[in-house]
Amino acid sequence: MRLIQIATGTVLALTLLSGASYAESVKIGFNVPLTGFAAADGKSALGGAELAVAQANAAGGIDGAQIELVVYDDQASPKEAVPIAQKLIEKDGVSVAVSGSYSGSTRAAAGIFQEAGVPYISAYAIHPDITRAGNFVFRTSFVGEVQGRAGAKLIGESLGKQKVTMITLQNDFGQSLAAGFKEAASSFNIEIISEYEYSIKDRQFGPIVSKIKSDNPDAIYASGYFFTAGPLVSQLRAAGIDVPVIGQEGYDSQKFIEIAGPASEGTIITTSLDRDSTSAETMSFIAAFEEATGQKVDMVAASAHTALKVAIAALQVAGPHDAAAIRDAIAATELTASTGSISFNDLGEVRKDVQVQIVKDGNWRFYSVISDPDLLAPPTL
Amino acid sequence: MLSVELFVQGIVQGSIYALIALGLTLVYGLLRILHVAHAALFTLGAYIGVLVTNQTGSLPLALAAAALFAGFVGMAIYKLAYEPLLSRPPYIALIASIALFIASEEIYRITFGPYGLSFVDPPLQGQIQLFSGFYLKHGEVLVIGLSVTLLGLLAWLSSSTRTGIAWRATVTDPEIAQACGVNIQSVRYLNFFIGSALAAIAGVLVALLNNLVEPTMGSVPSYKALAIIVLGGLGSIRGTLLAAMALGVIEAFGTIYIGRMLDRDAIAFAFLIAVLMVRPRGLLGAR
Repeated sequence: MRLIQIATGTVLALTLLSGASYAESVKIGFNVPLTGFAAADGKSALGGAELAVAQANAAGGIDGAQIELVVYDDQASPKEAVPIAQKLIEKDGVSVAVSGSYSGSTRAAAGIFQEAGVPYISAYAIHPDITRAGNFVFRTSFVGEVQGRAGAKLIGESLGKQKVTMITLQNDFGQSLAAGFKEAASSFNIEIISEYEYSIKDRQFGPIVSKIKSDNPDAIYASGYFFTAGPLVSQLRAAGIDVPVIGQEGYDSQKFIEIAGPASEGTIITTSLDRDSTSAETMSFIAAFEEATGQKVDMVAASAHTALKVAIAALQVAGPHDAAAIRDAIAATELTASTGSISFNDLGEVRKDVQVQIVKDGNWRFYSVISDPDLLAPPTL
Repeated sequence: MLSVELFVQGIVQGSIYALIALGLTLVYGLLRILHVAHAALFTLGAYIGVLVTNQTGSLPLALAAAALFAGFVGMAIYKLAYEPLLSRPPYIALIASIALFIASEEIYRITFGPYGLSFVDPPLQGQIQLFSGFYLKHGEVLVIGLSVTLLGLLAWLSSSTRTGIAWRATVTDPEIAQACGVNIQSVRYLNFFIGSALAAIAGVLVALLNNLVEPTMGSVPSYKALAIIVLGGLGSIRGTLLAAMALGVIEAFGTIYIGRMLDRDAIAFAFLIAVLMVRPRGLLGAR
């Protein structure tokens, strides 16, 4: 009996080993929240990432070798992200890794990848410290401050509103957006007449809504994710507050429109994805994503697709083995992705335009684009 | 004027807390178990509420379905998880309860997807004017009205019916109650059924106010309801109701006036600590 077990085990082990030596695949690590509070964004991110890999493999992979996406669930939690980063580096031996997760876990993992000298790209986590981990860490989306400054320009200049109430989410996402917004507010003649903060667990904004009614602002700048912003916007509108609500990429999901319903009409956001883009790259991504997943595209999916595309392009230039060469190839990226044209500054921050979208007839639509290189300049080394 | 609005918002929130925390108090009073998995029934109720409303278009039917189904699941939790552990120290049941709660979140996510569910055509979105410039959503009126009705009904049940008297006797002294012919087992089932049904109704009401049901929506109630029953004086029903309302109102004012320093949960727990320093037994706790 024991002998049979040992024999079976040996055969199995050998099969696995030989299997590995047959197909020498190129591995890209991917940490993403598939359970816990951020699981919805995680699912979209994974959909975008898998699509990018499938497209690249169909086009021949890396010099004929297939790309394998090594996925771990980090629950958007720093304490999960650290062992995952170590596993991706040591056990899986990935050539490059991408974060499809939030700032907390991405920041924690960035230091590990930097220390090991493995290139790491943040798809949509916005905390400024992520790229400060070192020269192996890049970001293909805006830092929060950049988007906050774009929001100020949108409200003060495009919409011409002056008295603004801020509703700020109490996490790094909300705080960095608020910091950027306040920094640029005065240059667009915006007066911040009140500011309220809420926690990511809040869905009931009754007291804040009551207070805002008596503040009587011209516009509301509210940071949040679709699952907080949906209830917030619907409660603001239900209370008869009809001034413009300006949000950011956290709102950027069809689910926001589903939750807030008719109250979502006219909500304007700064984001990375233009659904009405005439760029072939963006149009083909949207069509392929909706075909592959059967769900409406969102910013997170497009951002993950973009980050994977950057990683794959670098592997095609530098090959899978030389980490320093891959890093240099990423740093020299010049390509067009679904979220626009991508190139990096010396800190590994992306330079691109900010898209402005509005809810019209139950869908996100083009409103305008903000291209102001000085205002949108990301932090540098 | 603003303070009246904030007070009413606090009462709306407090009513929801009361519906959730009551079941927890009932279980603690009877079995001395901290029933964390109670919050899983709150989420379950919310999901059933949205699914049934979207299928049938009837909110009353959805409320009834949520209450019944969650009530039976609550009884099953007692039978399968707690009854076998009754002879063990209470923390064993607490651990089982936490495990059940975590598993439930993942079950909801796997079954219904991570994006959450919303009403296709949200009911009760209109509003009524209470006095000049002050509006309440129909959903908020329903929250207050339904809570008062259900809690009133429960008070009448426990004071004026044979079942209610048997239930109170069992809480006071299980052995004597049993000796007098009370069927302790049915009292326990009834207890779980009522507590779980109330939590499920709270879930439907929250779904109505937010138009969003998520796998993790029970995480805040799971610990806040514990805080409320401690605040009220463990096992005291009147204390629980008072604590729920007090917390709702304190949070409403706190969010506006000290929200920049402390978030809603921090305000709630600061209040809890302050009360326990003055009254270690809670607001209406027995000596």
